[in-house]
Amino acid sequence: MLLDISEVINDSIGEIECVERVVSPRFFDDTTESGFVLVDMDARADSSTKVQLLFSKSKVYVHPTSSAKDNIPGYLALVRPKNASNTEVLLSWVPESSLAGSRDLDYYVKVDLEPPHAADEIGPSTNASNSRNTSGIREVLVSPPPRSSISSYAFSIPLSNIYSIQVRPPSFGWWWGSLILHTKTEETLPALFFHDSESQSTILQRKQRTKDFEPFANGDELFWGGEQFLQSLKNLAALETSTLEPSIMLVNPEPEDRRAFSPRSAKVQQPKEDPISKALKDVRWSILEKLARVTRLSRQVALDVIDKSPQSVKVLLNKPEVKKIGDDFDSAKVYLAKWALGIAEEAQRSRSKVVWNDGYEDIMGSAVGDFELLSVDYSIERRNEVGLAEWSAFFDHTGRLSLTVSEVKERIFHGGLAPAVRSQAWLFLLGVFPWDSDESQRRSILSEKRNEYYRLKGKWWNDTERQDDDFWKDQKSRIEKDVHRTDRNISIFSDSDTPHPDPESRFAETGTNLHLEQLKDLLITYNEYNVNLGYVQGMSDLLSPLYVVFQDDAIAFWAFCGFMKRMERNFLRDQSGMRQQLLSLDHLVQLMLPKLYVHFEKADSTHFFFFFRMLLVWYKREFEWDDVLRLWEVLWTDYLSSQFHLFVALAILDKNKDEIMEHYTQFDEILKYMNELSMKIDLEDTLVRAEILFTRFKKTVDMVDRKRAEQNNEDAAGQQEGLPKISDELRLLLSKEVIETKEVERPPNAGGG
Amino acid sequence: MQIWDTAGQERFQSLGVAFYRGADCCVLMYDVNNAKSFEALENWRDEFLIQANPRDPDSFPFVVIGNKIDVEDSKRAVSTKRAQAFCASKGNLPYFETSAKEATGVEQAFEVVARNALQQEDAQDFSQEYSDAININLDSDSSSCAC
Ligand SMILES: Nc1nc2c(ncn2[C@@H]2O[C@H](COP(=O)(O)OP(=O)(O)OP(=O)(O)O)[C@@H](O)[C@H]2O)c(=O)[nH]1
Ligand SMILES: [Mg+2]
Repeated sequence: MLLDISEVINDSIGEIECVERVVSPRFFDDTTESGFVLVDMDARADSSTKVQLLFSKSKVYVHPTSSAKDNIPGYLALVRPKNASNTEVLLSWVPESSLAGSRDLDYYVKVDLEPPHAADEIGPSTNASNSRNTSGIREVLVSPPPRSSISSYAFSIPLSNIYSIQVRPPSFGWWWGSLILHTKTEETLPALFFHDSESQSTILQRKQRTKDFEPFANGDELFWGGEQFLQSLKNLAALETSTLEPSIMLVNPEPEDRRAFSPRSAKVQQPKEDPISKALKDVRWSILEKLARVTRLSRQVALDVIDKSPQSVKVLLNKPEVKKIGDDFDSAKVYLAKWALGIAEEAQRSRSKVVWNDGYEDIMGSAVGDFELLSVDYSIERRNEVGLAEWSAFFDHTGRLSLTVSEVKERIFHGGLAPAVRSQAWLFLLGVFPWDSDESQRRSILSEKRNEYYRLKGKWWNDTERQDDDFWKDQKSRIEKDVHRTDRNISIFSDSDTPHPDPESRFAETGTNLHLEQLKDLLITYNEYNVNLGYVQGMSDLLSPLYVVFQDDAIAFWAFCGFMKRMERNFLRDQSGMRQQLLSLDHLVQLMLPKLYVHFEKADSTHFFFFFRMLLVWYKREFEWDDVLRLWEVLWTDYLSSQFHLFVALAILDKNKDEIMEHYTQFDEILKYMNELSMKIDLEDTLVRAEILFTRFKKTVDMVDRKRAEQNNEDAAGQQEGLPKISDELRLLLSKEVIETKEVERPPNAGGG
Repeated sequence: MQIWDTAGQERFQSLGVAFYRGADCCVLMYDVNNAKSFEALENWRDEFLIQANPRDPDSFPFVVIGNKIDVEDSKRAVSTKRAQAFCASKGNLPYFETSAKEATGVEQAFEVVARNALQQEDAQDFSQEYSDAININLDSDSSSCAC
């Protein structure tokens, strides 16, 4: 350690202009002199103009516009001019670019990475002239930072001119923590954003705290760059929190200020707190909790936690898994930060007193309009499929699940299942096995279910009267027709070399095979089992993959019944379930892909009928066989939403929207285009896209809700035209609860149609 | 020219609105070995007219096709005569018998379908400025529903 530091210092010795004295107790033994480096007497000569760098923090940004590409990184610094008192200490922001190539940069970096250890070490030096013999104090001299620069946004003001500092710790949705300086002269200074995830020093410190098991050492707040700055500032100035507005810290308040205990907000034109920040304040707890929980699970879990009620961080701290925050912590943070980038930019805007209705468009723009951008720097990882070994390891020796259901579902949602695992795992996903069952319970479930199926099948099989019924015959022939045209490219269904058992069948001449006959019997049994619904076209598509995976008719039947619980609404006689889903999709596209929606309106296509088949049989005809199995198991998890299939639709539209808008202006053209996507859709890409869209959707709904609540508070008259309506249909998309709608009682004489 | 095939089961017919509208010809197909499928033709035709809502329903070109004539005669359930009588009563609809399996009669049938469609399209172009003004959508459609 000692050697490293020396090397760094020696490297830069060449033409060093300043007196450098490093004794950082953390790295150096107090008894050694080796950290003492003294250089270049010439440099000392002009040290009179130099200032002492007391504090430096890297990756503090100015966001001049709402666009992330305009962000300017720099250093936030506290510097003491020669002989200056504490109130004359300068608070400076220096853009990286103006330090580039200069030797000062090294010092900013160094002071940032090795902050003076204890509070008193940056205390006022009584003898400002580089007292090199003071033990344990580092004095670093640099050129005075620019006072102000219009072109670079650099500024430097004495502490005496700072009236108050508005502090916004990082929080969910707001992401970057920021500081806003209110000056007594009403000079406008840019807000400073702490990009903690880029700042080496903040990362190091946070890791250290995690290691020391005190990530929230400063009260309940998550450690961040701004906090570190304030700690340093406290050694130079009295900071008092305003009781009126806890986010405001008064700097060296006068007695009158203190009496009022409030910033002269009118005078400094402290902007009215914008609705977003206000709303987000409430969320701070959940972000802490969320981050703290990110342990061995993926980032998506973090998002999931938002829904859950806040819990004391103290309790969390006692949990062993919190100790493992470490690196996951950072990755979750980066993930969330990127996610919320658009919002952070909006924050800057609303601070400069932009009214919400203007700002709204921006959020919507950045939240939903710019997908391509997002897909580049935002990665949702698809994971490996769950193999047999991993699956078995989910269970204890009694065969009971030793993970939470949500953990298993998360794993399946992001990775899918290996073929060998499916015949087990699907039974859980489809509700045949309760998640909390053990091995012996499952064994008895299987044997019961098997008997039950054969009983159900035997009932119609032996009932000649039933078989004479018109409805029954009609349904039977419909089933047979469909079975004979379902998945015949799959090997077990491809043969037709078995003579047909029924010479009256329309397939008597064509021949059949054992598996086709099994499918037929299964569907007839279902037709009898769920009398009100009966068999409807499309069901054969839903059954066939289950049959192939289980290779056991009785088990396939119960798995199919489980699947049908959620799919029943697709097949209702009045088609209300399909209409509802198409309507939800309509609303979703309106909100998330507004340009495309306008295009659809012009093309008379907002009934979204071209998604009918995709939604009806869950993309069975759109994807290759293996992909269908993967897609279904992902959808069965209901991990983000029980209607994730609609986000799959949204993803397909998102992927194809440019093509559609450019070339297809008529409904039939669009229908044809969509139909022809069949077998050309990349599943993994679609799933990632769907997840991103879901996340954005959820974010957008939250945002609109907060805005609306805010507007209601502020202005009873309500200025809500700018806000999109979040319909009940849309809200329902956030629910993980499966929607089960049963068909009404079959009217007498209702045919199979 | 585009040829669309619709789902068979009645409950999916509500989709027809989108598919039927703007059609220039409609093919009604049944299985000559299945009387029920023949008897359903009238229903399909009515449903089509309601949903497509063509300017002149009486002269809209339908073509009727009796399929699966390759199947043995003993299975035959609808005679050619019976089918022809039906077609005559509906305004002299062209009638064809085919076997998709053996590809008999299919080409002839579709030639007539295509010719009728082209004729219909021309006629519609002529009256385009009128029909454009009629806004047919899901809601307003129910008022014209005769069922
Ligand atoms: N023997 C024979 N069988 C045929 C012929 N045409 C179709 N089939 C068979 O009849 C069954 C149904 O054919 P489809 O063309 O799918 O019937 P459809 O009328 O489109 O049925 P829906 O889509 O339910 O409306 C299939 O098994 C075909 O192989 C034919 O000309 N001769
Ligand atoms: Mg068909």
